[in-house]
Amino acid sequence: MNSDSAPPLPQGKVEENPPLENRPPQVELKTEQGNLLLILPTEAEASAQINWQIICEQLKNRLQGNDRFWQSQMSVHLVAQDRLLDGRQLKAIADTLANAQLQLQRVCTSRRQTAVAAATAGYSVEQQIVLSSLIVPEATPDSRLKEPLYLETTVRSGAEIHHPGTVVILGDVNPGGIVVAGGDILVWGRLRGVAHAGSEGNLECRIMTLQMQPTQLRIADYVARAPEKPPSQFYPELAYVTTEGIRIARATDFSKTHLLSNS
Amino acid sequence: MSRIIVVTSGKGGVGKTTVTANLGMVLARLGSSVVLVDADFGLRNLDLLLGLENRVVYTAIEVISGECRLEQALVKDKRQPGLALLPATQNRRAETINPNHMKQLITALAQMYEYVIIDCPAGIEMGFKNAIAAAQEALIVTTPEISAVRDADRVIGLLEANSIKKVNLIVNRLRPAMVQANDMMSVEDVQEILAIPLIGIIPDDERVIVSTNRGEPLVLSETSSLPAMAIANIARRLKGEQVDFINLAPGNDSFLSRIRKLLWSKIG
Repeated sequence: MNSDSAPPLPQGKVEENPPLENRPPQVELKTEQGNLLLILPTEAEASAQINWQIICEQLKNRLQGNDRFWQSQMSVHLVAQDRLLDGRQLKAIADTLANAQLQLQRVCTSRRQTAVAAATAGYSVEQQIVLSSLIVPEATPDSRLKEPLYLETTVRSGAEIHHPGTVVILGDVNPGGIVVAGGDILVWGRLRGVAHAGSEGNLECRIMTLQMQPTQLRIADYVARAPEKPPSQFYPELAYVTTEGIRIARATDFSKTHLLSNS
Repeated sequence: MSRIIVVTSGKGGVGKTTVTANLGMVLARLGSSVVLVDADFGLRNLDLLLGLENRVVYTAIEVISGECRLEQALVKDKRQPGLALLPATQNRRAETINPNHMKQLITALAQMYEYVIIDCPAGIEMGFKNAIAAAQEALIVTTPEISAVRDADRVIGLLEANSIKKVNLIVNRLRPAMVQANDMMSVEDVQEILAIPLIGIIPDDERVIVSTNRGEPLVLSETSSLPAMAIANIARRLKGEQVDFINLAPGNDSFLSRIRKLLWSKIG
């Protein structure tokens, strides 16, 4: 199944903490009071490593992934934070949104130049004052409480999805695709790429999928590879952390043995 | 309404250029006006495969820089009057071409021809971005190997992000005997990963290499061969209405079984 040439490890064997990659910040989409908020990563989160093109590509992928949930011509508020945007870039965002039947209406920014560009382009502008010392992001105790991300898409080779909360994917995660979630990962399809649940260190997180054929599973600091020989039959399965590392159980069994006994 | 189709794969050496050359030839033979655009700037090949190398005078870069008119750069094929080629540039000036140049160029070609088929370079860098800039639909060429399929998957993702929604799959160089012996990925295996509609399966054949070296696309040869038939079928499916795509799967099954039968009869 996997093109892994390393000697076979027993399923779920624990390896040393993998180096956690620098999480590339993501474009966020949220609905709030009938409006759609499009939140761009701040320059601090994404200075050199994330460029304009990556933002564009992410936005397009995101829009594709859950267009079913928005009414057409829903108005969008762009939260540009401290990101510097010129008129051309604003137009590119507006065009991308228009392709998805969404309308850019308001731009919130803390940068003067961005505000000027947005006003020139005819959007309503809200200038925010940066209170950098005051806006310390509140540490949410459980990453699973953060707003989940629902995507209806195939995560293809080379695509990476990062989200601080739980990720639900209606579609396959293909080999070469990566999903990293602060919370649980639920793949309603085949999981054949890399899934990393509880990326902020939460050992309670789980990975669920209809067909478990991953390249690699990671939960918090644990890593596991799928067995060399794929099973002959697939069931909906669930990966979780035990003291001996990552284990996989049939979803039906897990709900009986773990969920009921815990309650 | 002309159609702008990019032939792409991600991985090199899977047969993009061969498919482009043969497909263009068949479409022209079926009565369409076709222009093939070699977007592999810096490494041109398409003119070689078509046997038109010695007739190239101007290339795309001269058109873009305004040194010649578009009509002057187009090489008309003598064998197939409906077919023309816009050759790629080999010199270093090729690096200055950007997606906007390509859009202008392709839009101009689309006014003149029914089919604009763009031969995309391998990789996903600037050359790829140039090649897909103006495309409306794409043909993904892949061989039944995991590296080729993986790259094709990546490319499909990039095409989707660039709003190219109509993407069809060509599985090239299939060896049915190896598939049967479980030594090669089957078309179903490839499709399971890529999850895009299949438009053709081209079996592996030595005659493809011979025709490439002669600069004479296989579909032109007197004796019919399986790859030539497969490409002719792809061209018909491309031309056909949406209805054709629905009946594709059973059609391909019977096609595969035909190959199998032929192979077995040769062995037996």
